[in-house]
Amino acid sequence: MTTYTTVGKPIPRVEGTHKVTGNSTYAADVQLPGMLHCKLLRSPYAHAKIVSIDTTKAAAHAGVERIVTADDLPEFEARYMSNRAYNLLAGEEVVFHGQPVAAVLATDATAAEEALELIDAVYEELPAVFDPLDAMRDDAPPARAPVGEIDRSESKGHVTVEVEEEQSDKPSNVVSQTKFSRGDVEAGFAESDVVVERTWRSAMMHQGYIEPHATVASYDPISEELTIWTATQGQFFVRDQISRMLRIPETKIRVIGTELGGGFGGKIFLTQSLAAVLTRITSRPVKLVFSRSDDLVGANPAGQCVVDLKTGMKNDGTVTALQTKVIYNSGAYPGAPVVIGAILIGGYYKFPNLEIEACEVLTNKVSVGAIRAPGAHNVTLAIESQMDMMARELERDPLDVRMQNAVEAGDEMPSKAVYSSIGLKECLKAVQDSEIWRDRNERPATPGKRRGVGIAVGGWLGGLQPAGAHVELNGDGTLNVIVGSNDITGTNTSFAQIVAEELAVPLDMVNVVTGDTKTAPFAGMSAGSKTLFTVGRAVKAAAEDVRSQLLGVAAERLQAKVEELEWKDGVISVGGDAEKSIKFRQLAGITTGFGAQYPPVIGRGAISARQQAPGFTAQVAEVEVDEETGEVTLLRWGIAQDAGFAINPLSVAGQMQGGATQGMGIALWEEMLHDEGGRLINDGLLDYRMPTALDVPNIETYIVEVPSEDGPYGARGVGEPSIIPGAAAVGNAIEDAIGVRVAEAPFTPERILRAMGKI
Amino acid sequence: MTTAETTTETPREASALEKVTVRYTINGEQREVEIAPNRTLLEVVRDELRLTGAKEGCGTGDCGACSMIVDGKLITSCLMLAPQADGSEITTIEGVAQDGKLHPLQQQFIDHGAVQCGFCIPGMILAGKALLDSNPAPSELEIREAIAGNLCRCTGYTKIVEAIAAAAD
Amino acid sequence: MRVRIRVRYNAPHMRRFDYFAPTSVEEAVSLLQERGDGARLLAGGTDLLVQMKEAGVHPSAVVSLHAVDELRGISDESDGGLRIGARTLMNDVAAHETVRGAYTALAEGAGVLGSTQTRNMATIGGNIANAAPSADTAPPLAVFDAEAEIAGPGGTRTLPVIELFSGPGSTTLETAEVITAFRLPAVPDHTGSAYQRHTPRKTMDIATVGVSVKLTLADDGSIGDAAICLGAVAPTVIRAGEAERALAGETPSDELFASAGELAQAAASPISDVRGSAEFRRYLIGVMTRRCLGIALERAQA
Ligand SMILES: Cc1cc2nc3c(=O)[nH]c(=O)nc-3n(C[C@H](O)[C@H](O)[C@H](O)COP(=O)(O)OP(=O)(O)OC[C@H]3O[C@@H](n4cnc5c(N)ncnc54)[C@H](O)[C@@H]3O)c2cc1C
Ligand code: FES
Ligand code: FES
Repeated sequence: MTTYTTVGKPIPRVEGTHKVTGNSTYAADVQLPGMLHCKLLRSPYAHAKIVSIDTTKAAAHAGVERIVTADDLPEFEARYMSNRAYNLLAGEEVVFHGQPVAAVLATDATAAEEALELIDAVYEELPAVFDPLDAMRDDAPPARAPVGEIDRSESKGHVTVEVEEEQSDKPSNVVSQTKFSRGDVEAGFAESDVVVERTWRSAMMHQGYIEPHATVASYDPISEELTIWTATQGQFFVRDQISRMLRIPETKIRVIGTELGGGFGGKIFLTQSLAAVLTRITSRPVKLVFSRSDDLVGANPAGQCVVDLKTGMKNDGTVTALQTKVIYNSGAYPGAPVVIGAILIGGYYKFPNLEIEACEVLTNKVSVGAIRAPGAHNVTLAIESQMDMMARELERDPLDVRMQNAVEAGDEMPSKAVYSSIGLKECLKAVQDSEIWRDRNERPATPGKRRGVGIAVGGWLGGLQPAGAHVELNGDGTLNVIVGSNDITGTNTSFAQIVAEELAVPLDMVNVVTGDTKTAPFAGMSAGSKTLFTVGRAVKAAAEDVRSQLLGVAAERLQAKVEELEWKDGVISVGGDAEKSIKFRQLAGITTGFGAQYPPVIGRGAISARQQAPGFTAQVAEVEVDEETGEVTLLRWGIAQDAGFAINPLSVAGQMQGGATQGMGIALWEEMLHDEGGRLINDGLLDYRMPTALDVPNIETYIVEVPSEDGPYGARGVGEPSIIPGAAAVGNAIEDAIGVRVAEAPFTPERILRAMGKI
Repeated sequence: MTTAETTTETPREASALEKVTVRYTINGEQREVEIAPNRTLLEVVRDELRLTGAKEGCGTGDCGACSMIVDGKLITSCLMLAPQADGSEITTIEGVAQDGKLHPLQQQFIDHGAVQCGFCIPGMILAGKALLDSNPAPSELEIREAIAGNLCRCTGYTKIVEAIAAAAD
Repeated sequence: MRVRIRVRYNAPHMRRFDYFAPTSVEEAVSLLQERGDGARLLAGGTDLLVQMKEAGVHPSAVVSLHAVDELRGISDESDGGLRIGARTLMNDVAAHETVRGAYTALAEGAGVLGSTQTRNMATIGGNIANAAPSADTAPPLAVFDAEAEIAGPGGTRTLPVIELFSGPGSTTLETAEVITAFRLPAVPDHTGSAYQRHTPRKTMDIATVGVSVKLTLADDGSIGDAAICLGAVAPTVIRAGEAERALAGETPSDELFASAGELAQAAASPISDVRGSAEFRRYLIGVMTRRCLGIALERAQA
């Protein structure tokens, strides 16, 4: 095994000092002279025709500079109008409760909010539909006017799949669907010794980043330059979209991805376009910061999902057939993760026969966006619960049954794509070896309560996108690394490690900056667990480029051949000869100083998409259930995850723990609740309950390393998988504890008591 | 009437747009600002005093991102009217490091990988500080209780709890 | 149908208002009297500011009590009881030795409210005056038969805490009245009390159901006196009178407590909302009342 000096070590975050002292700049911290504050009037109806909007009174309110409605907006090409981001303000029809219909711009936020109340908007309510199953019925009212062609530019940033959704041609709320099949499911069920069939529901939930959406945009009408400071996971994506939308050349747009207060798939492109349009209309800087309620009501949460699943197993534990219908509720605009859901539900185990149908349905709820591993936790709840139920029925060990059927390199996914090297079995093994699993039958429960242990697995295919990076040698021998990817998971720290490793310099000699879209080399959005996997490869290539340039200079200086040179401890020598050597620092001098003979060393790395590296996880949960109140307490949690190679085990463990905790949230608390009019009723963080420090246990991490074929040092993406199996693991643990199965997440005390027949 | 509250001679008749003058000792420094009384301490500290370390995650006391220590007590500054803190001693995240040196909590947060996106961190560190100031050797449960009003979406809390425990040693 | 609606969603900024910081109760009362119905008292602000930010409450004047020192603090009364100033912070109530020892349920109620931060701002007077059916100190104060001291334009008066509530968020306080303190009568020997609430999260949550009980045992170990108060299951907190009467004079047992739980269920009129259905709430009352009685009994016997 190769030994490394810097990669593979737990290195604290390079930007940590700024963050612990309060000195990092987040988008809402940006304040510009003459800045206007923008507040949005949101629709009180889930589906209505806008009859009129009278802004006279509001416009006259002290402090108000301008009120903008759909009439004032530029027109966009029809083919983009299926994309929520292009529907800045509703014009004729509002299609979800909370949809913006007018923007007030005022000198202070209070004045802007006061003016909202003075706007007189008249609506004519239209029939609305909220549940996907209702929306699919033939007699269902259309959730909205037909969408036209579906623009899926954003979802491609999260996962790369070769299959496209089929769009429906007849008017229907079902806007796209996917089908996969393999073998003969009827025959498969016929030879099964147990067949389980259930319907699983998981709720609409919010990504839950603690920083609400925020953008400050500034337009200079003379130079026609647009500058945008924004909380986004993909600054280049924002630039490209705005360029396409407003027909401004990309050279005129500077998007500065500020420090990001969490994204989890939810902060890609939402407020930027409106802020850009508003600053162009007013020629003044515009600040658009969501309140928490704005963010819960009107951002882009993760959708609700209904899964009908039938699975079979033989007495010996072999899986036989899987038949499923997966229904995603997209809300009012298309964009649900249909294909990935369809692949994953049949993609963990070697089902010889499968029939998978997945579709997305429009309703009058807020349209959905991505989440960490979009679509995956919903289908995983179904398949991973049923794996347990079948094992239980056959009195087999649930872990053995998974091990026996788990996919490996070379196996086909339902889409017929073939897995490269993957570590699902290794993750299961790690969980099998954990204390939590080993003493699952030994620990006594608190009197009056029951204890249970459950496991579940999850996987994510990973995204791909080309990326570039620069590495430059400074005059003092330190190195600047410039990337264009927004650091959301500690990637900049890992990039520093990669450069330090490749050039054999101490880590503190390397400085990584995320440039803006005018200064940095291109990078895709930081989503889909691909930043380290793609940009990391570019950084490595750029460092290698620096190395070869330096060796060239050294060879010339030392009058030797490059092959004769030895690179050690910051010194390059001819075969170790101290007489014939040059220090790294000297090389820096002779490539940058006055009259230097050699050109500056500027390494360039540019890579294109190649093979994905799917990442798997297995998790184990120990719970205690109060049989009388239905309360579930999480006692212990272990997560194994295949990182390929953990360039920074500290960051990797952090990703695992953070995602696992979101999975716990999905399992027990998180659910966006709507009234019969489709209005969100828990639009604050007291009632939209994310786990607090008291709700979750210490999380043990077991990093598994099955090298990927293509990632830097064998690394694979680690951001997504951790969130996926939480709900299933908790559900399995609950059944282990009290023998009752709850088929709808979150597993609230009320649902548990109902399943137990107590209420 | 406390005298510091208003700038007008006859405060009882103050018009709705009347400003008040407030004085804070913030991170050891005396500051005085004139503000409309409907501003929260968080807004004034961020927008007027330009100390933007404290964050607004919810504005309604539910997330803890805006936490500050006022007269020795940890509070959520989004729910404190700026004039209510008049005359108070306030510590924000900017005042935790002393003499150019990180506070042990800050160092432990970095070293333990307890910092991810960083948005919750100013509030978390102040919650940790308020705890350690009154209880130098807290148990894990006490640490979790002390930070239960501070939501973190990135870390799952494990490393934060470890960092605070390490700072207590 | 055409409708004309103006809606604003949860704006995080407050409207403009006049601000006052009196230093005495008298001054506060006269300010309130002068400014009439548009004026609001401000204690810790953890309810009022939230309402001003997101529930459309827009007072024209805010009278802050933070500089009224006489409203703060806990003191022993000559009759063996306790007096808690209205502006006493929840954390101070929860940590107070006498409260923890003799009025355990109140310490529990004050101790579970919100977060450390909330309890460092929230006051007991604000919790009661805000009159949420879920207020965590209301059931404990009620089982101890606490009285509120009220100062107003016409002088001072006292009123049992439970009589302060007239509906969700509304009280029987008159315009310009200020709660100055709560008086808790002395607690007889062999008394135990408890407060328990159900919340989905372990903390940072509002009670789906809250139950407080107080039991005083007679010398023979039977129940001399019982008080049960339920939170979040009716428009105001309510005493479960029938359950209380069924306990008095009886020998404590699991069956007795279970049947008291059933009687308590019957006293409630819960609604379904974002925190739980009516059915679920009613079910919980039974379990929680029984459990709470068990805890209080243990404490009374200790
Ligand atoms: C994050 C969070 C969590 C919370 N969790 C809980 C919880 O778990 N349980 C719970 O019960 N509550 C909870 N609350 C609500 C709130 O904290 C409590 O009700 C608190 O006790 C209110 O006290 P305050 O001093 O902040 O009141 P304020 O907001 O200052 O005032 C509340 C109301 O009472 C009036 N008032 C205040 N003092 C007096 C007085 N002396 N005389 C007459 N009227 C007066 C005010 O005019 C106002 O109408 C929570 C709030 C937040 C923000
Ligand atoms: S911003 Fe103050 S608690 Fe969330
Ligand atoms: S580090 Fe991101 S919310 Fe805590």
